Amino acid sequence: MRAGVSITPGLPRPARLSTRTRRAPLVNAMLLSGTVLAFGTVASQLLNLGLSGQQQITIAVSEPVATSFSRPDIIDRNGRLLATDVEVPSLFADPAIIIDRDEVVEKLIIVLPDLDQNELHQALSDKLRRFVWIRRGLSPKLAQRIHDLGLPGLSFRSELRRAYPAGDLAGHVLGSVNVDNKGTAGIEKYIDDQIGVDAVHSVTLSTRAPVRLSLDLGVQHSLEDELDTAVRRYHTRGAAGLVLDIKTGEILASASLPRVDPGRPLPSTDPLLLDKVSGGTFELGSVFKTLTIAMAFDEGLAVPGTMLDVRAPLQAGRHTISDFHPAGRPLSVAEIFTHSSNVGAGMLALQAGPEKMKAFLGKLGLLQTLKTEAGAVSTPQTPERWERAELITVSYGHGLAVAPLQFAAGAAALFNGGTRMTPTFLKSQPGVGPAADRLVTPETSRQMARLFRLNVMDADGTGKRADVPGYRVGGKTGTADLASGGGYEAKAVISSFLGAFPMDEPRYLTFVLLFEPKGTAETGGQRTASTNAAPVTGRLISRIASQLGVQPLAIAATQ
Amino acid sequence: MRLMNLAAFCFTVASALLLYSLNYETRRLEAGVQVQERAAVKARSDIAILKAERGHLSRPERIDPIARQLGLMPPRPDQLTITSDVSALPPEHRMAEGE
Repeated sequence: MRAGVSITPGLPRPARLSTRTRRAPLVNAMLLSGTVLAFGTVASQLLNLGLSGQQQITIAVSEPVATSFSRPDIIDRNGRLLATDVEVPSLFADPAIIIDRDEVVEKLIIVLPDLDQNELHQALSDKLRRFVWIRRGLSPKLAQRIHDLGLPGLSFRSELRRAYPAGDLAGHVLGSVNVDNKGTAGIEKYIDDQIGVDAVHSVTLSTRAPVRLSLDLGVQHSLEDELDTAVRRYHTRGAAGLVLDIKTGEILASASLPRVDPGRPLPSTDPLLLDKVSGGTFELGSVFKTLTIAMAFDEGLAVPGTMLDVRAPLQAGRHTISDFHPAGRPLSVAEIFTHSSNVGAGMLALQAGPEKMKAFLGKLGLLQTLKTEAGAVSTPQTPERWERAELITVSYGHGLAVAPLQFAAGAAALFNGGTRMTPTFLKSQPGVGPAADRLVTPETSRQMARLFRLNVMDADGTGKRADVPGYRVGGKTGTADLASGGGYEAKAVISSFLGAFPMDEPRYLTFVLLFEPKGTAETGGQRTASTNAAPVTGRLISRIASQLGVQPLAIAATQ
Repeated sequence: MRLMNLAAFCFTVASALLLYSLNYETRRLEAGVQVQERAAVKARSDIAILKAERGHLSRPERIDPIARQLGLMPPRPDQLTITSDVSALPPEHRMAEGE
């Protein structure tokens, strides 16, 4: 029986053995593939996270998100701050959770007395609104006072606000921004249009490079301060002035009084607050003779020694043109300049003729619209016809109204060696810019510089009160009747002085205008530019020459 | 084979734990970054205000009257001279550089 069964002891049974050996690799493979899959998933997820980076989280809010603009700083040519963004609290209300509307209005009016009570009441009555601005751009002190009221439904949100640390200095040039920090005028508008601002939903300061202006804060202050003094001293209705670098076209200072505060722009149309340097056109009077005489030199019609008989008045239609102080003898062209002879200027213009006169003024850019970074300069008002009468009156600065900046830019070409100069409010890089465009010959430029200096040095020169020992000042006076309603006002004048220094190598040009100055004891009752605008220019140059690094010469050598 | 499975299992658990702790560490670091970023924004805002205040305090309109009260005034031409003349001065009369 035992021998009949041939089973080897210790060996598994063949059927059981084959099932286990068949299943084992399958289980192992499944386990292995499960593990690989798990690891693969983890690895791919890690890879995915590593490559995709963190996604931005977006939160939708029910209230409107205030969009503001972050703006680059504005600095002067030496890096001193003129405008910057700062974080300020703004007050808003949620009408839905205001408990006692009347109490809120009543208490807020105490802290913010200029709020419109009815408007606020109405805005807070609408319970469907969840967000109402009450006052944007509060000072931290006011915000604290409102916070201390403990009124439910009122909250603060931080916003960007433009600050002007120098106050109203250069206010007309800087312009202004609106409540959303967007530029609305002046350089601020130029930044929006040409440089760029960034729309932001929170308080994010701009990372853009600051905008470097050509203005010099020290020169600007000196100009405004001297104009302030002039307004008080000569009882004027306003004043304006500018300082130009005639080699580069950079405007170093530009001021118009009364001032405007860029931090508190007024929606005023008061002509008194207008920027008189570029926003208004004026008949500038005898300073225009500078151009007439330069034209005569450049066209080869005269030299400084050419004699003209200016004794007889000129007839222009119904008008008789005569001199303010008749010399009673023939005058040389140089004397016509220093005596400011209307007849002499008229004779030179007649000699040239209307075409040459128009072409010369056009060449200097006085008949076209000029644009700067601070906006368009007022378009010149030119005569419709250029007949004899117009030609004579334009020769001594009447019948053609132009903005002071445009006039100064045109005149600058006569002193910088004769090349075109485009005024700019931005600091220019040395050697950058188009090739100089020649307008007058270097010889004309030299002759004009000599005449300018002569008019200040000469004992009879109208500009003698502008002299500053050591700084070689030159210049020309202008006393123009103030145009009003198609005619001229009887006793109102614009007195001006176009100055330049140092005249051995002219570099800077100043233009000072006083509107409706009165005669005082100091001026001997006179209102003419030689008694007011000229000394103002002298005082201005004595302050700014050293700031601009002009080397004073030994006083004896300059006389 | 069983040993390998056990090792794989342990490795998986260890990896999961590591991943879990890394996740939390990342979140902690992110929170730290946010705190630093907020501090940077606050610092930038403070700098802007300080710059504006410095500009306001050093505005010429304020400095001018203070300087005049102290007896200072714009330099006269005779108080200025050219550099070459200054360098000709004997050393004891020369101003130290940077003064």
